[in-house]
Amino acid sequence: MSRLAPLLLLVALAIALLARSSGPLQMANPDTSAADGMLDVLGSLPDDSTVLVAFDPDVGTYAEVRGTVRVLLADLMDRDARLAFISLTPEGRALALAELARLERLEANARQLVDLGFIPGAEAALVALSRELRPAAGTGVMATVHADLDLAAVALTIVVGGNDLGPRSWVEQMAIRVDGLRLVAVAPSVLLPDLQPYLASGQLEALLATPRDGAAYRASVELGSLDRLVDATEPTAVPILVGLLAAIGVLGAGAGTRVLAGLRVGRAREAS
Amino acid sequence: MRRPTIPALVVVVGILLLADLLVVNDSLGQLAGVAIDAAILIAAGAALAGVAALAVRRAGDLWRRRGDPVAALLVLGGMAAILVAGLRPGSSGTSDPAVGWLVGALLVPIGATLFGLLFVTTLAAARRTLALHGREALVMVGAALVVLVLLLPIGGAPGARLADAAGWALAVPIGAVFRGVLIGVAILAAVFAARTMLGIGSADE
Repeated sequence: MSRLAPLLLLVALAIALLARSSGPLQMANPDTSAADGMLDVLGSLPDDSTVLVAFDPDVGTYAEVRGTVRVLLADLMDRDARLAFISLTPEGRALALAELARLERLEANARQLVDLGFIPGAEAALVALSRELRPAAGTGVMATVHADLDLAAVALTIVVGGNDLGPRSWVEQMAIRVDGLRLVAVAPSVLLPDLQPYLASGQLEALLATPRDGAAYRASVELGSLDRLVDATEPTAVPILVGLLAAIGVLGAGAGTRVLAGLRVGRAREAS
Repeated sequence: MRRPTIPALVVVVGILLLADLLVVNDSLGQLAGVAIDAAILIAAGAALAGVAALAVRRAGDLWRRRGDPVAALLVLGGMAAILVAGLRPGSSGTSDPAVGWLVGALLVPIGATLFGLLFVTTLAAARRTLALHGREALVMVGAALVVLVLLLPIGGAPGARLADAAGWALAVPIGAVFRGVLIGVAILAAVFAARTMLGIGSADE
């Protein structure tokens, strides 16, 4: 039976994926402060602004933020922003390629998308990039290759995190080198404790780092004709609830067994 | 005996980058730029060398009939597929649709699936840890249980109360522990960097 348990769990999750949320289940976080924060930042962008998209999620956790990232990109395009994609990790570059190919397939406005490619070198790459973003920029490799793109005029940088070079690296390496750099981030939940201090200090202006915050943001965005650029089906609360309950059950049973065993040993010692 | 070249190089480059950060000077900036560009080129070269070494290793495994031949074939086949898609005549390189398909339709879903299966193995590992270890494992699993309950996707008044509790847990206990760990790591990294830059090694070196 114990060997069948993982298989049963996967079957239950697969069935739950087909179920629709209703009643008291709600994917979006009732506390909408994270979503509101992101909307405030996007609302403050000037017309036709250039937004740098630092695309470095990892393959493993990208599924958690993918829906939110796609809505965010579509939201920015709806606001007539020009998106310049750059990656500093090979995995991020692979995912950026997949997203750019998808946007092209869905006939997104190609003039709003710029592929700045991949820079190797980890932190050294960030420092090199900071030289291109300074107001006196214009002579770097990026400025030469993408002559029509004024990197010094970037109005906002969105960091899609998950990999080694995420929002934290951007705050630590980039924000101290580029005056007036505005940073927001989308990251998986596992990075939330790491990034919360940067959000509290204002170094990150907005952060979407849980599926529920992402759902709250997605629910508050109206995309109109650009609706075609986002996922047709939203993740529902049912499979997440089933997964969480299974985890609570398994861990709770294990912890309970351990506590009972400890109590029995204690009593046996007292008796002897 | 320890060779002084590498620490000396680290000291020079480190001081140069720090000075460039603190002082606005064109010449200094250009020198720092050269150092950064060199680091980027070395990283790119190292990445290519790593990939080449993997290919040679796997080809050697196949040739000498050691290890897992299916895994070796898959690795070499995957490398060849991406190289052919990106470098064949008429290809637009990394932005070629064939490369996009290989990444979007194969690499990303396979990676996500493997990570999804971690859910089951992590639960099994947690149970095994509970069985093998004592109080530490119990504390860890207990904390995980609390976090899992706080994440339950419930709406209405109970959901709002859970969200408030999750916010408090993140800001106070988790935040305090995490910031403590981060500050400790930062101090350790600063001390280690200073020791490297000053050429101070441990007693056994």
